[in-house]
Amino acid sequence: MQGSLRLRLFKEKLFLLSIAVLTIATVLPLFHIMFSIMIQGIPVLIKGGWGFLTGTLAPPGGGLGGIGPAIVGTFILTFLASLIGLPVAIFTGIYAAEYPNSLIGRATKTLLMVMMEFPTILVGLFVMDLVVLPMGSYSAIAGALSLAIVMMPYVAVYTDEALRNIPPKYREGAFSLGLTRAKVVFRVLVGLAKKGIMTGVLIGIAKVAGETAPLLFTAGGASRVYFDGLNRPVGAIPLLIYNLVQQPYTNYHEIAWGASLLLMIIFLALFLPIRLSLKEVKL
Amino acid sequence: MKKALLLVVLLAAVAICGCAQNKAQNKVTPTTTTSTQVVLIGDGATFPWPQITNWINIYMKEHPNVKIEYNGGGSGKGQADFAAGVVDFAGSDPPLKKNLWDRLVNNPPAEGKGPLQFPDIIGAVVVCYNVPGVKQLRLDGKTLADIFMGKIKYWDNEEIKKLNPGVNLPHKEIIVIHRSDASGTTDIFTTYLCLVSPEWNSTIGAGKVVNWPVDKMGRGVGGKGNPGVVAELKNTPYSICYTELSYAIKENLKIVALKNKDGYFVLPNATTIKAAASHVSMYIAPPTAGYKENLRQLLNAPGKDSYPIVAFSHLLVWKHYSDPVKDKAVHAFIKWILTQGQNDKYIVPGYVGLPKSITQKVLQEAGI
Amino acid sequence: MKREVGHIDTFKYFLLPFCLFVFGLFALMLAVYFSASIPIFQHEGLKIYTTNVWRASENPNKEFYGVLAAIYGSVYTSVLAVLIALPLSISFAVFVIDYAPKKIKEPLIVATDVMAGLPTIIYGIWGAFVLVPILKKYVMDPLYAHLSFIPLFSFKPVTGYSYLSAGVLLGIMVTPFASAIIREAYRSLPFMYREAIYSLGATRYEATKILVKEIKPAIVAGLLLAFGRAIGETVAVSLVIGNTFNISPSLFAPGYTISSLIANQFGNAFIYKYMVSALFAAGLSLFFIGLAVNILGILILRRYGHAR
Repeated sequence: MQGSLRLRLFKEKLFLLSIAVLTIATVLPLFHIMFSIMIQGIPVLIKGGWGFLTGTLAPPGGGLGGIGPAIVGTFILTFLASLIGLPVAIFTGIYAAEYPNSLIGRATKTLLMVMMEFPTILVGLFVMDLVVLPMGSYSAIAGALSLAIVMMPYVAVYTDEALRNIPPKYREGAFSLGLTRAKVVFRVLVGLAKKGIMTGVLIGIAKVAGETAPLLFTAGGASRVYFDGLNRPVGAIPLLIYNLVQQPYTNYHEIAWGASLLLMIIFLALFLPIRLSLKEVKL
Repeated sequence: MKKALLLVVLLAAVAICGCAQNKAQNKVTPTTTTSTQVVLIGDGATFPWPQITNWINIYMKEHPNVKIEYNGGGSGKGQADFAAGVVDFAGSDPPLKKNLWDRLVNNPPAEGKGPLQFPDIIGAVVVCYNVPGVKQLRLDGKTLADIFMGKIKYWDNEEIKKLNPGVNLPHKEIIVIHRSDASGTTDIFTTYLCLVSPEWNSTIGAGKVVNWPVDKMGRGVGGKGNPGVVAELKNTPYSICYTELSYAIKENLKIVALKNKDGYFVLPNATTIKAAASHVSMYIAPPTAGYKENLRQLLNAPGKDSYPIVAFSHLLVWKHYSDPVKDKAVHAFIKWILTQGQNDKYIVPGYVGLPKSITQKVLQEAGI
Repeated sequence: MKREVGHIDTFKYFLLPFCLFVFGLFALMLAVYFSASIPIFQHEGLKIYTTNVWRASENPNKEFYGVLAAIYGSVYTSVLAVLIALPLSISFAVFVIDYAPKKIKEPLIVATDVMAGLPTIIYGIWGAFVLVPILKKYVMDPLYAHLSFIPLFSFKPVTGYSYLSAGVLLGIMVTPFASAIIREAYRSLPFMYREAIYSLGATRYEATKILVKEIKPAIVAGLLLAFGRAIGETVAVSLVIGNTFNISPSLFAPGYTISSLIANQFGNAFIYKYMVSALFAAGLSLFFIGLAVNILGILILRRYGHAR
């Protein structure tokens, strides 16, 4: 008996040790990534200075230049995507929450969750076929539409859950005042769920600001031109990084690291405050 | 909240309508460009990419109201995007094939009509290698084809040794790096291999994309664009690749001396490229019938000093653009490339400018 | 807003179009993929999925495409990713819920949430420039040197771009998704279970073993969804997979995935008659693999009562 107890205790120790090690292994890459990006990226940002944020791409082998057009493009794309995607997403989310037992309501919820997991490259190809080819140009609007489709399910699911989490007494109270359903939802419930909905909106924005695949065949990319109209190509930081990584030039790799640092900062600035103000998030 | 939401919806609607309208108007008059600012978008070959980038930088300095983007997506992407009308001009190394040319003539996109194709620069496809310890290497066409076909597996193969007496070749597997995208450089290179190796010609053939037998042997690696290929070569010891000369110069790669038609081993440089061009009577098809041009004419040229893999790279533009501002801007840029652009001081090392006889003929026949 | 009259729910009819729009969009997407794939099916039938050929030609009769290598690569790398995510995500969930000191519990969860949301291109640049050289030097080269008689290790690592690199990178990327689902399920196990097990004198190891068994469906669902994420990932994978039409059992061989094939080839596909269609057909297969895996995962979660 003594032996088996020792064995059990040994197993116990081994078990604790191994899950601790595996837990560290799970998060270690994050720190390695952040560390690598800072080590490689900070010198680039210092060397490039203000010009790195505002300038245009340097020639191969010729200094750092700047990634201004990509930064401008990312902001335009994200803004437009929100403009297109948010209304649809929020109203769809409200529907799913308000009519949770109807056939459409249930199907909507399932569809949203499927779309959340959907390969984003397929969205890009779809928009290329639907918008870019008929329009005859890669464009900001095509890129934004792609991103809007990617963003929609996140915002909708958050809206749905924020509304569902409101205690029923508020709803009952509002109805008992004789308000219409629309008024109940918009004046009372949406107000109560504001924080949850805003979280979804911000998560959606943080998500699409870093997306690359949906932009590959839609946004077109730009490295010298800041903005030339909604129906013309724009750049984006992730797209630029993707292209630069595949080049042999040392200076292009440096620019890619600098751009990655910037992208990481943008993402963390959007994401961390939301995350820290909540108990959990869905991605 | 309700009002805010409605506002968002309205804004979105306005934005969408605005874009639709913008697009509709664009067919008639440009809305996004004023008489002072015009943006041109190009895409295509990476073979001339360093040269075109250089031209653009100089041209944009001289013409501050013109902004030009040229993305090196490969000749295939250039042709595809040009045919779809999503770019204003394109770079393509090989002349267009007849069926694509017919499509451009008969079914042009709304953006322009009347395709024009003309050479803009002469370059060379060079074979580079990354074999630690080997400083110089000589190959002939057949051996080169056998390497890229996978028939020669090790660097110390007898065929290679015979051509390189005294060179200490390692017993290491040869890793063949090729393009993964549809590439004009590949087209030029494989066309050359067809000329020098009947076996290559019958089993693999030439094209922008070929079925690389080395891939299935696990010794092939694909790189995207000339830059991608060069990046792979630098990272991969005991590898071999083909790329444009300017990349080899800029990245300081080791270059193979190739045996030319007359039996001499030559390294690619401005002199040997010019020699190749001067030993053949160049036929430049009229820009309005670009498909008639023959990619093979500069390949495997006779002459003691001629480097064997030399080719024109071409530009594609429209004779008529539906946007008059663009029409003017593209044609002015093209004219500049074919005149001042050919000036030696604007030519990037690794390329050779066109003879004046050719540029004049092209400009005259294009009528732009 | 209009005043509600009788039983007509005007509000519902105001919201309905938005819902239908989302459905319409999805249906349209499916329709686009189907219709765009038709030409290649007419040209070569199902051989597009069962052969490994990539023959582009200006002469349409000579064109032939088979994307088997890409499908194989997608499945191979995603399975690797799930195999890596399995121990990591379960250990992480158990550790964080039951054993982590309070002080580091929350930071650990925040860290995985950051990982789940981090732009994938950042994984891509890190993967290509940092992870691949490390894997090649410390994993592939030694394994090949000593164990190359095992088919799994039989391929000489050349560039380091390989199924293994893609699988490891994907594993790192999808572990947070799987662990979030598993964590949630593990947390919501009734407290009584734990009490009861410990009162029987079980060690923590034994208790955890029993508890983890309880949440098996959530683990399966989490891994299915992780698989779905992995198979759909594009840019990070295309930077480390090697992009070669290759089918090899060896971990160290380069290959292709469906999404990286699309990313690499779609740009120049329009000059050929059938390549666009071939790529849409490849996309269609991804569409269905993704759909099947995700729906299955979501259904298991629903059934089990852990709907997210």
